Amino acid sequence: MSIELHSVTYRYPGAPSVAVDGVSFRIAKPELIAICGANGSGKSTLMKLLSRVLEPSDGTIVMEGREIGAWDPRDYARKVGYLPQETDPLVPMRAIDAVITGRAPYLGRFSWESPQDIELARLALARCDASGLADRHLDEMSGGERKRVHLARVLAGQPQAILLDEPLAALDLAHAQQLARLLRVLVEEEKRTVILISHDLNWSAAIADRMLVLREARLTADGSPSAILTPELIHANFGLEADVIERNGRRWVLPR
Amino acid sequence: MSARRDLVRGIAVLSLILVLSILFAVSEGAVGVSFIEALRGDQRARMILFDLRLPRVLLAAAVGAVLASAGATFQTLLRNPLADPFILGVSGGAACGAAIATVIGAGRLPGGVPIAAFSGALGATLLVLAIARRHASVDPTRLILAGLVLNAFFSALILLALSMVRGSDLTVALHWMMGSLANPTWADVLLVGLAAVISLAICASMAGDIRLLVFGEEDAKSRGVSTEKVRVIAFLVASLATGAAVATSGIIGFVGLIVPHAVRMIWKRDYRLLLPLSAIGGAALVVLADLAARALIPPSELPLGALTAMLGVPFFLVLLRRATR
Repeated sequence: MSIELHSVTYRYPGAPSVAVDGVSFRIAKPELIAICGANGSGKSTLMKLLSRVLEPSDGTIVMEGREIGAWDPRDYARKVGYLPQETDPLVPMRAIDAVITGRAPYLGRFSWESPQDIELARLALARCDASGLADRHLDEMSGGERKRVHLARVLAGQPQAILLDEPLAALDLAHAQQLARLLRVLVEEEKRTVILISHDLNWSAAIADRMLVLREARLTADGSPSAILTPELIHANFGLEADVIERNGRRWVLPR
Repeated sequence: MSARRDLVRGIAVLSLILVLSILFAVSEGAVGVSFIEALRGDQRARMILFDLRLPRVLLAAAVGAVLASAGATFQTLLRNPLADPFILGVSGGAACGAAIATVIGAGRLPGGVPIAAFSGALGATLLVLAIARRHASVDPTRLILAGLVLNAFFSALILLALSMVRGSDLTVALHWMMGSLANPTWADVLLVGLAAVISLAICASMAGDIRLLVFGEEDAKSRGVSTEKVRVIAFLVASLATGAAVATSGIIGFVGLIVPHAVRMIWKRDYRLLLPLSAIGGAALVVLADLAARALIPPSELPLGALTAMLGVPFFLVLLRRATR
C-alpha cells in the first residue's frame, strides 16, 4: 500500500486561514506513523483528507497510483479505515452490532452480513480486549470502552491503512499498552500501515517507526523518533521547554 | 441471531397482524354485514364491504405505512429518537398547503390538493433542516421545539385561511388538523398506496447507507457513503410521501413515533429492519385506530388524530425523558 501527498492544502469554507498548508509526504511500505503537533496545527484535518471525509482545496493525494477522488468510495473504504476523534456517545446500539457495521463496505446493496462477517466482528472485538462488551450498549459505556469498540469497528473492515485520530484519549494505561502492542502486530505481522494522532510524545516515540510534526498547518519535521525528538525541535514546534533523555535505546521527553 | 432472520420473522408476524386487522376492520362497522353474505352475492353487503369500508381500510393501511416509515427515516437521518412527521411539523406544513389549496379553490383542479400538500411538506422539512443544521443533532429537544413552533404556525395559518373565506365552515379545519379517513375515493387509495410503495422502495435501496448515518456524518463518509446525496433523497422521499398521506387524510400524529419505537423494542436498531417493519406495523396500527375511531361510540366518529395522540403522548414523554437524560 502506497500513499503520496503532493502539496495538499485545505481551507475550511469561510475560514480566514488554511488548516493544512502544502503538506507533502510519501508512505511506501507498511509502517507506524505518528502525527504530532500542538492543538489546531492541522492534524485532524489531515486525517480527514486521508479518509476522504474532506477533499483537498489544492494538491493531490494518491493511493496505490490513483488519485483518491477517483477511487470508488466503497473500494476506498475497504482499503482505508478511519477512527474519528469524537464518536457520538448516544448511539443506542449493542457493541457487536456496531462492530458488524464495520463490514458495510463489503456488502452489496441488498445483501446482509454473512456468518464470516459476524465472526470477523467478534474477532475484532477480542483483539481490542472488548469481547466482554459485545452485548452492552454504546450509550451505556465509559469513554474508554466506547473507544475500544470503535477501534474494533475499524479493524473489522480489515483495511490496509488504518487512520486513528487520538486512539489513546480516554484509554487507561493498561489498555494504552495493549493498543501499542496491537498496532505493532498490525504493522509487522499483517503488513498494514497505521497512521495515528497522539499528544503523548513518549507513547508515540515508543511505538512509531516515523513521526510527522505539524505546526501551523505546515509539515515541519518528518523522520524517525530519535531524529525528531530533540529539545530544540520540541521547543520550536510545541512551545515546550523539555529535556530529552535516552534510555534502552528509546528517547524520552521530560518537560522541565 | 442474524439480522436477516430477525427481518423475515418480523415481517411474518407483522404481516399476519396486518391482514387480520384489515379483515377485522372491513367486517366491523355500524351496519352488521358479513363476508359470507357478500360472497353469496348480496348487493347491499358487497356495497358496504367493498365500496365503503374496503377503500377506507386500505387507505388507513397506506397512510400508516407512509407515516411510520417516514418516522423511522427521520429518526435515523436526524439521529433523534423523537423525530416524527407530525412532531417535526412536516405533516403540519402539508396540511397547511392542502387547506389553503382547498380555500382558494385549487382543490377542484386535478392534483391540486396533493401538490399543495407536497409543497407544504417540503417547505416544512427545509425549515426544520435549516434549524437542525445549525445546531447539529446535539440537542434533540431543540429540534422538537422548532417543530412545536412550526406546528403552531401552521395551525394558525389553516384557521386564518379558513376564517377569511365568507361562510366557511371551521369543521373543515378540524378535518385537516385532527385527521380523518372518512369517505375516501379509490383515487385517494391509489395516491397514498403508490406513495407508500415508491418511498419504501427508494429508502430500502439506500437502507445499507442510511443505517451508517447513526454514527455521524464523517464516520459514514469514511465508510464510502455519499452522505449528502443519501440525505437529500431520503428527506425528499419521506416528506413527499408524508404530503400524500396528509393530502388525503389530514394530520394523524405520533404514528411515526410509536411504531418505530415499538419495533426497536422488539427487534434490533438497524434501519434495514426498522424501515420495512415500521411500515407494516404502522399500517396495522392506523387500520385498528381508524376502526376504533368509527366503532367505539357509534354512530358518531371520533377524530382519528386525537386517538393517535392519546396513544402517542405517553410514548413521547418516555422517549423525551430518555433522550434528555
